[in-house]
Amino acid sequence: MASAAVATKAPKPQGWRALGQALLGNPVGLIGTGLLGLMLFLALFGPLIAPYDPALSSGKPFERPSSAHLLGTNDVGQDILSELIVGTRVSLLIGFSAAAGAIVIGTLVGLVAGYAGGWLDAALMRLVDVVLVLPFIPLMIVVAAYLGPSSGNLIAAITLVIWARPARVVRSGVLSLREITYVESTRALGASDFHILFRHILPGVLPIAVSQFILAASSSILIEASLSFLGLGDPIRKSWGSILYYAQIRGAFLNGSWPWWVVPPGLMITLSVLGFALTGRALEGYLFPRLGKG
Amino acid sequence: MAQRLVQYLLVLLVAVAVNFFLPRAMPGSPLQFLAGDEVATLTLEQRAAILERAGLDQPLPVQFVRYLGQVARGDLGYSYQENRPVLGILLERLPWTLLLTGTALLLSSLFGVMVGALAAWRRGGVLDNTSLAGSIALDAVPTFWLGMMLVAIFAVQWQIFPVFGARTAWASYQGWQAVGDVLRHLVLPATTLTIASLSGTYLVMRYAMLGVLGEDYIRTARAKGVSERQVLYKHALRNAMLPVFTVFMLNLGALVGGAAVIETVFSYPGVGRLLFESATNRDYPLLQGAFLLVTLSVLVFNLLADLLYPLVDPRVRGAHG
Repeated sequence: MASAAVATKAPKPQGWRALGQALLGNPVGLIGTGLLGLMLFLALFGPLIAPYDPALSSGKPFERPSSAHLLGTNDVGQDILSELIVGTRVSLLIGFSAAAGAIVIGTLVGLVAGYAGGWLDAALMRLVDVVLVLPFIPLMIVVAAYLGPSSGNLIAAITLVIWARPARVVRSGVLSLREITYVESTRALGASDFHILFRHILPGVLPIAVSQFILAASSSILIEASLSFLGLGDPIRKSWGSILYYAQIRGAFLNGSWPWWVVPPGLMITLSVLGFALTGRALEGYLFPRLGKG
Repeated sequence: MAQRLVQYLLVLLVAVAVNFFLPRAMPGSPLQFLAGDEVATLTLEQRAAILERAGLDQPLPVQFVRYLGQVARGDLGYSYQENRPVLGILLERLPWTLLLTGTALLLSSLFGVMVGALAAWRRGGVLDNTSLAGSIALDAVPTFWLGMMLVAIFAVQWQIFPVFGARTAWASYQGWQAVGDVLRHLVLPATTLTIASLSGTYLVMRYAMLGVLGEDYIRTARAKGVSERQVLYKHALRNAMLPVFTVFMLNLGALVGGAAVIETVFSYPGVGRLLFESATNRDYPLLQGAFLLVTLSVLVFNLLADLLYPLVDPRVRGAHG
């Protein structure tokens, strides 16, 4: 990050202290990082903390909450609390991977389009427009119906849908950097396009890419949940969305088990998306110091 | 405008191409992916007819042009599961989706405009702060789960509204009774979709209103001694509404796509639910038709937004697009 600030001649980098201040020095950042930290902890150590193996049945079907099963059991006697804890890793992993893929593709497309200009720019931006208009949940239902449900397909599908917005935002960042004096002078000194693009412009748009990653991560967690709820998730490794899918089709509403079967997974999804949203807001001032407080 | 039209045609072409290439790219017999899971029950003549229709012996480009022609004529194939043409099934489902998304859109625009305007009017006030925080929180809630919670509370726990469907099965209501029945079934899914699309309209309205309130003519009106009510309703609100219109039209497109999940939660018999059902049943011809119809609706609504916007706001005729 330090090199980014030097390259753009932005105000002096504020370093780790400023980052800590942005994340922990105010209620918004504190809640956001707290939520993300909790989710990350569960994702990393979930299987160690979970009271049971969620893949095995550890009780009778449809048990009510008790000291043995704090959130009861599902239709095949699996412990719901354990499903919830272990599901964190699945949900976050799919969300993170899709967001990371989308940011890599989006940043590359945005860099090339913004820097090259001309027909290449026009063609790439047409493509972005097309992707932004396509109804993506229906599209993914169709693709998954042919390819079958799996985590890999889910990640690929989400990536292919959400790269377009970051591409457009990064491109506009590149456009404003391209004409800045130091880029002009570097070019005058005979630097290659590749050198200018990756040594000078890429660091300049990194803050944009970081903030877009946070947005992309929260939307891919929501999209993953919707798709898994439609039964398009991996049936072996259940995410929060898949837990809700089984709750819906196995009668959680009919037998009154919804308070411990339906409510908790939705809260987990909401809290992690909220964690990303608040962290993103808290980081805004740090990433874009010249914009001031929004 | 021409550029927009080209863009929409491209999207449509992508959708058609997805429908065309996916069944042909799958390993194994294409027959199954063209006809769906019912393929085993088909007679030899029916199988021959399917292969003849797809023209699999011809080169791929020829097949594609042929396919485009069929789609353009509204010939979307035959659902072997339902045993009737796909187009008829789609046209039966479409009104339900339009009813659901239309209701949700009207309500969310109404509330979004009201709350957004009042929040901006008293910037930093209690309503402004709570509604802003509320919109951030709402954006984090998965829409389908919101629907499930409404079902749990209002249909299962308190039994005020029906759990699923768009009409009471086996009941033969007449006249107003039938209307009332449809409305009762509409309440929960429409509320879910309304809440889900509320924050977009609200944020745009609040922002636009803040901009308008800083304009000179508002200050002039106040200086002339116009009452606060008049300033709010006659001067500020009208001008701030314009950007909301664009969001309104764009939401319409997004809602039709997003309704797929909501319709599934409530087993509401719209096109979105059909998409899910046909995917579960591997009724591929029906699945493709539903996908095409959803894409087409999104595009039609986007196009309408582009066409209507200059009429609503003459000032942007040059700036828009």
